Amino acid sequence: MKSEKTEKKYTPEISTKEIEELRNSIKTASQKIMAENIERMKKTDPNRPEAMKYFDEIANLFGKRPTEILAEKEKGKKVIGYMCLFAPTELILAADAIPVRVNSGWYDASKVGDRVVPVEVCPVIRSTIGAEMIGLSPFLELSDALISVLTCDGMTKLSEILSDYKTVWGMNIPRVKDSAHSLRFWNDEIKLMKAQIEEFTGNKITRKSLKEAIEQAQKATKAFRRLQDLRKGQPVIMGRDAMLVNQAYLWDDKVRWTEKTEVLCDELEKRAQRKDWVCSPETPRVLVTGTPMFWPDNWKLPTLVEEANPKGIIVADELCSGEKILYDPVGVDEWTMDDMLNAIGERYLMASTCPCFTSSDGNEDRINWLLNKVKEWNVQGVIYYVVRGCMLYAMEYNRIKKALDKINIPMYYLDTEYTREDVGQMKTRVEAFLEMLTARADI
Amino acid sequence: MITVGIDLGTQKVKAVVLKDDAVVSRGQAFSGFDPAKAAEEAVNEALKDADLKISDVVYFVATGSAMEMAPYAKGTVSMMGADAKAGVYLFPKARTIIDVGAEEARAVKCDEKALMVDFIVNERCAAGAGAFIEAMARALEVKLEEMGPLSLKAERASPINASCVIFGESDVVSLIHRQESKPEIARAVFDAMADRISSMVQRLGVNPDVVLIGGVAKDVGFVASLKRKLGVDVLIPDFPDYAGALGAALTAATRAKEGKK
Repeated sequence: MKSEKTEKKYTPEISTKEIEELRNSIKTASQKIMAENIERMKKTDPNRPEAMKYFDEIANLFGKRPTEILAEKEKGKKVIGYMCLFAPTELILAADAIPVRVNSGWYDASKVGDRVVPVEVCPVIRSTIGAEMIGLSPFLELSDALISVLTCDGMTKLSEILSDYKTVWGMNIPRVKDSAHSLRFWNDEIKLMKAQIEEFTGNKITRKSLKEAIEQAQKATKAFRRLQDLRKGQPVIMGRDAMLVNQAYLWDDKVRWTEKTEVLCDELEKRAQRKDWVCSPETPRVLVTGTPMFWPDNWKLPTLVEEANPKGIIVADELCSGEKILYDPVGVDEWTMDDMLNAIGERYLMASTCPCFTSSDGNEDRINWLLNKVKEWNVQGVIYYVVRGCMLYAMEYNRIKKALDKINIPMYYLDTEYTREDVGQMKTRVEAFLEMLTARADI
Repeated sequence: MITVGIDLGTQKVKAVVLKDDAVVSRGQAFSGFDPAKAAEEAVNEALKDADLKISDVVYFVATGSAMEMAPYAKGTVSMMGADAKAGVYLFPKARTIIDVGAEEARAVKCDEKALMVDFIVNERCAAGAGAFIEAMARALEVKLEEMGPLSLKAERASPINASCVIFGESDVVSLIHRQESKPEIARAVFDAMADRISSMVQRLGVNPDVVLIGGVAKDVGFVASLKRKLGVDVLIPDFPDYAGALGAALTAATRAKEGKK
């Protein structure tokens, strides 16, 4: 652990009193927002699946889950936080440590982050800085070390800024995906991270423990895919509910999450058999792609879509805070240590559709993912969601737009910020888009 | 069959009375703090003009930023949907409708059935909308209505920043300090706005016929700049500021025919 009183290279000194005031007021507001979000989800679907109760409880970022993690920490376990999906969580689990993703979805915390970086910086980054500055996020606070994968510019500098508070391990990720030496380089990074985690936790990652961790993740992927498959047909679950389940994996206990998701899927399957739809099967089916959306505040777009007039249902997404979390399993041929590590490396690099990559054909993988989703999930319209300052997603828009134009799928570019003030404007646009989808479907 | 469309805009509420798909009267009122009351005024004015009563109206549809506050309305239609309806009604070959209002500019791509197929809205800044002209007129100490005719007298263009009303204003002030003439500055204001709006429309695709509606379409200075920037002819209807309300009235007629309650 770093000593408490190291010089802060980036962040200003804030008095303990101010920190406490900010933390308390944002926390209180956040608890209200979480409860309100869930109330609204219940209202949208009065016949909400029973199994959602569990996820509603886990969704409380200040509730049961941080308490559990704290108890495990007291028993000697280490907590390793991460910001990007490329962090190899199987290694963390294999070292008997707890992985937890720590990106901030708190709007108000971004205003605190504005003291360190200009407002042009992506709000996910500003808000994560702000959350750390005032100790807002229980998961970030519980993290003993952080893995920061140097993907976009924001993430790269975020890791330096968070070093003012925590031990941060940067992972150097190659930006060109389809080259043999990129993969070799990344696989080396994975091996270095393994050594780092082992040293830090004092636990050796063995062939057995890694195999178990991979197998557990595979089980989670199976449950995860089952849920997304259930969203292919007539609507059995509102998009927001599924999105909350998906995202809860980021901080929940992995074994329990897998069980509870299977339970949810059992319930949904029964509903499908009874043709007990969650909304009219005529409801326009929407896919959301772009900047990640983090619970709890950044739930603005899903809420607007599913409460709009006319309303839509989100049946799929291409978000690293959503379906990208668990969609791809680690594929192992031989359960040797080397093979497992290479398989992990490949899964994180090759399966990614993040716009921080390019390849001989640009980010073709993302287009293929989207085209497949549109086809298999019967998507009628796509919302391309970008927060201001998220350059990579903003810059890839036109290419995606052209690809979707070819298959006659409308897409709307919706840009926003970490703020509640633009909900009115966003609503106008989302409703116009859904009205358009409804009119198209009528023909 | 009588239907009424109400457009509750940020500055004014407009109402259009339609009888068997033909406009019979119009009314308007300032939105102020009570758009619902303003809407009543606008509707009453229009109905009075046509010698009609509220009870004569089969169907009301509202649009505009405050559409949810509309009185009488049986339903709403998005501003973009209303734009498409009105644009194609006024000019059957219209495929791109540009609507520039007080606080917002948008463009709608539509098909021959007047259905919108795509749209784009200017990004949360009034620099591409009517409020920008108002602010600049203030800086130039001329009346809003004088800006357009003034700009047509300009002999050349001077560039200003239209990314933001505030920055735009400070640019105008420095042009004043450089003793640029008022016509040139007025032209710069319209050019900057037209620049922003034309690049927005180009992102959507400029498919003729291009129609310009909204209150700002009445400004000859802006129209001249936009035509220059877009490089295509721009069609402007009579009463462009009532186009949104017209679109809503047409939607009301369609819904009434379909028997939607």
